[in-house]
Amino acid sequence: MAVSVRHFVRLKLRLTANGLRGQSWRVALFVLGAVLAAIAAVGGYAAFSVAGLLGEERAAEVVLPLGGAVVVLGWLFLPLVFFGVDESLDPARFALLPLPRRTLIGGLFAASLVGVPAVATFAGTLGMVHSAARLGGPAAALVQLVGVLTGLLLCAALSRSVTSAFATALRSRRARDLATVLLAVTAALLGPLQLAALAGAERADWGGVARVADVVAWTPLGAPYSMGPDVVAGRWWAVPVKLAIVLISIGLLLRWWAATLERAMLGTAGKGRARQRSAADRPPVEQLVPRWLPATRFGALTARELRYWWRESRRRASLITFSVIGVFLPVMLTVSSGSGGLPTGMLVFVGALAAVSLANQFGFEGSAYAANVVAGVPGRVELASRIAGFSAYAGPAFVTIAVVAGIVTNRPAAIPAAFGALVAGYGMALAVVLPMSVRAAYALPETANPFAMSSGGGTAKGLLSFAALIAAALATLPLQLGAHFFDDVWLWLGLPVGIAYGSAGFLLGLRLAGRSLDRRMPELLATVSAAQ
Amino acid sequence: MTVPHQRVSPDPALALHGLVKRFDTKVAVAGIDLDVPAGSFFGLLGPNGAGKTTTLSMAVGLLRPDAGTARILGYDVWTDPAAAKARIGVLPDGARLFDRLTGGELLAYHGLLRGMDADVVNQRSAELMDVLELGAGNRTLVVDYSAGMKKKIGLACAMLHAPRLLVLDEPFEAVDPVSAALIRDILHRYVSGGGTVVFSSHVMAVVERLCSHVAIMADGTIRVRGTLAEVRGDRSLEDVFVEVVGGRTATGSELAWL
Repeated sequence: MAVSVRHFVRLKLRLTANGLRGQSWRVALFVLGAVLAAIAAVGGYAAFSVAGLLGEERAAEVVLPLGGAVVVLGWLFLPLVFFGVDESLDPARFALLPLPRRTLIGGLFAASLVGVPAVATFAGTLGMVHSAARLGGPAAALVQLVGVLTGLLLCAALSRSVTSAFATALRSRRARDLATVLLAVTAALLGPLQLAALAGAERADWGGVARVADVVAWTPLGAPYSMGPDVVAGRWWAVPVKLAIVLISIGLLLRWWAATLERAMLGTAGKGRARQRSAADRPPVEQLVPRWLPATRFGALTARELRYWWRESRRRASLITFSVIGVFLPVMLTVSSGSGGLPTGMLVFVGALAAVSLANQFGFEGSAYAANVVAGVPGRVELASRIAGFSAYAGPAFVTIAVVAGIVTNRPAAIPAAFGALVAGYGMALAVVLPMSVRAAYALPETANPFAMSSGGGTAKGLLSFAALIAAALATLPLQLGAHFFDDVWLWLGLPVGIAYGSAGFLLGLRLAGRSLDRRMPELLATVSAAQ
Repeated sequence: MTVPHQRVSPDPALALHGLVKRFDTKVAVAGIDLDVPAGSFFGLLGPNGAGKTTTLSMAVGLLRPDAGTARILGYDVWTDPAAAKARIGVLPDGARLFDRLTGGELLAYHGLLRGMDADVVNQRSAELMDVLELGAGNRTLVVDYSAGMKKKIGLACAMLHAPRLLVLDEPFEAVDPVSAALIRDILHRYVSGGGTVVFSSHVMAVVERLCSHVAIMADGTIRVRGTLAEVRGDRSLEDVFVEVVGGRTATGSELAWL
């Protein structure tokens, strides 16, 4: 019997169901994720159908391609930053099966469409079909439906191929920096687009926005979603062209994905590639602990964390993603908003985003954590050393971000205050993230892709991240208000107040999480050890 | 006040009492009582899934038992973990180590984690790496080690702080004969120096050659225990094991298509 797409889809469904079986918290997470996705879908449907309901043909021509582009970009960036990709069908598992490449890719691709995000996206974008139907009757609706479907395929293909390529790039040392550049360039490409759109919106210049929309409608991002309006406007000739644009894009993305997948599968099967380094003549303790750390338990834990943030691909991925996002977000916001003020809120957000990297800090190493349990490391020492290790990377990143933000806003004097805001966000998010990392840890799948999540894991990761971000935003509200209203004094107050805020948050988190870690060490080990 | 090393105790090296562990509905360990005399070389035998790993995990404080106690040299693992954990070295199942460190870094990490002095860590690490043939100047990450080397570095980490009790989960699994002989040799020396070794295995030949005491587990309970001579009698250990565990013997008619 030939293996077909159907088998992959059924396997995915079966794996998802088995993952939920007998674990009530997973079911709860799944349901919560589904409810949130449903809310997003309803919101999307409403937003996309309103143009049609109002009978505004021109509005539809603007909203559909732009909204569609946002959806596609969401599929690109959200997995990298927040959710990871659901890789319950790990491609490496298929390496030994006699499957033609076409079947394998087709099957994995179809399986990746089976999931809450894809269903929610489809439901949300159906609002566009509604719009097209209202404006142009059944023909337009049918064309738009085709557009929405191909758009969904594009979203999935884009998200799969980019995470997979990024993962491959991260694994090889030489290409590692290339991955950073890749992500940076992608982010940079967004800049001008967003800039124009926002600038237009600010001046209430619909003409400007519409021009951007017209351009976007001819890129793969907006092409699938702008077919309906084309029919409405009588531009039938545009439909096949745009369909070709989308289908060719999907084809190229899938080919790219197939290529990186094959490399990843070979990598897992072959393993090898031992990294032989120059023989070291230094004694072991000096090899592990850098000179500026004490040769104690705390020093050893911190030094190990330092090594792990760079040597382990999952951690490296989140580190690189954070640095790129961290530099670009404030810059983009400042440039596009055009106002001279320091984006304090955004800086707090970026600081909190750094802390979110630690939300599942115990999940990264899995059962290796047993060594610390056997040695009986006290909870406070364990957590403090982990923060110290991560801060050795986050600290310089914060300085860079603060300097860049100061230069971009043309206010170098505000650099210390910017740094203060970052530290405040970081510390306050830690107050939430540290207890979370102990109480809500989860096992990560053993795959080659650092963005891979087992089913349900994506919801957990995303929810935890958002909770930490919101908590940090609320907790630093006084600081943000202060920065807003006492602009001049804040240049001086920003740094000390920010650091005090951050330290308070960190100490609070350490206190809460330290005790709970002391009580729950074996339970934590059991949750982060991958199920066997 | 007691000084740990001079404490001459009649306590067994490891004393398990009424240990129970359930996973969801499955009972993994159904009430185990076991005394491991100090200075013995103790083999815990059993087929896959008998509950060996679960038992040893509960004994060393990695897995909280649903009921029962575990005492190491007289210290309760779950009420006085610091004292108990200071006296044991553990090679966990599958030897999942912090494998993104080099061998030397990993040893230094374990040593400092145990609160040892940096000089002592350096000296002992170099010696262990040398004896276990891991190469003192080797800068390969542990993740790139072979299976045998991983077991050896795991063993070195467990022994670095000179514990009085070594608990090893499957120390000979996936190890080539040369490395296995080396590990055997080192463990022998450790026991003759007054240490106690508890290890799990399902390789009869190794157990027969090494152990002074054995216990055979199946379905979460201990079926037979005693000195090697008591358990074995005049038969081979393998025969006793198969009989106790109740394996099936092939008749020759099945799998005819092979």
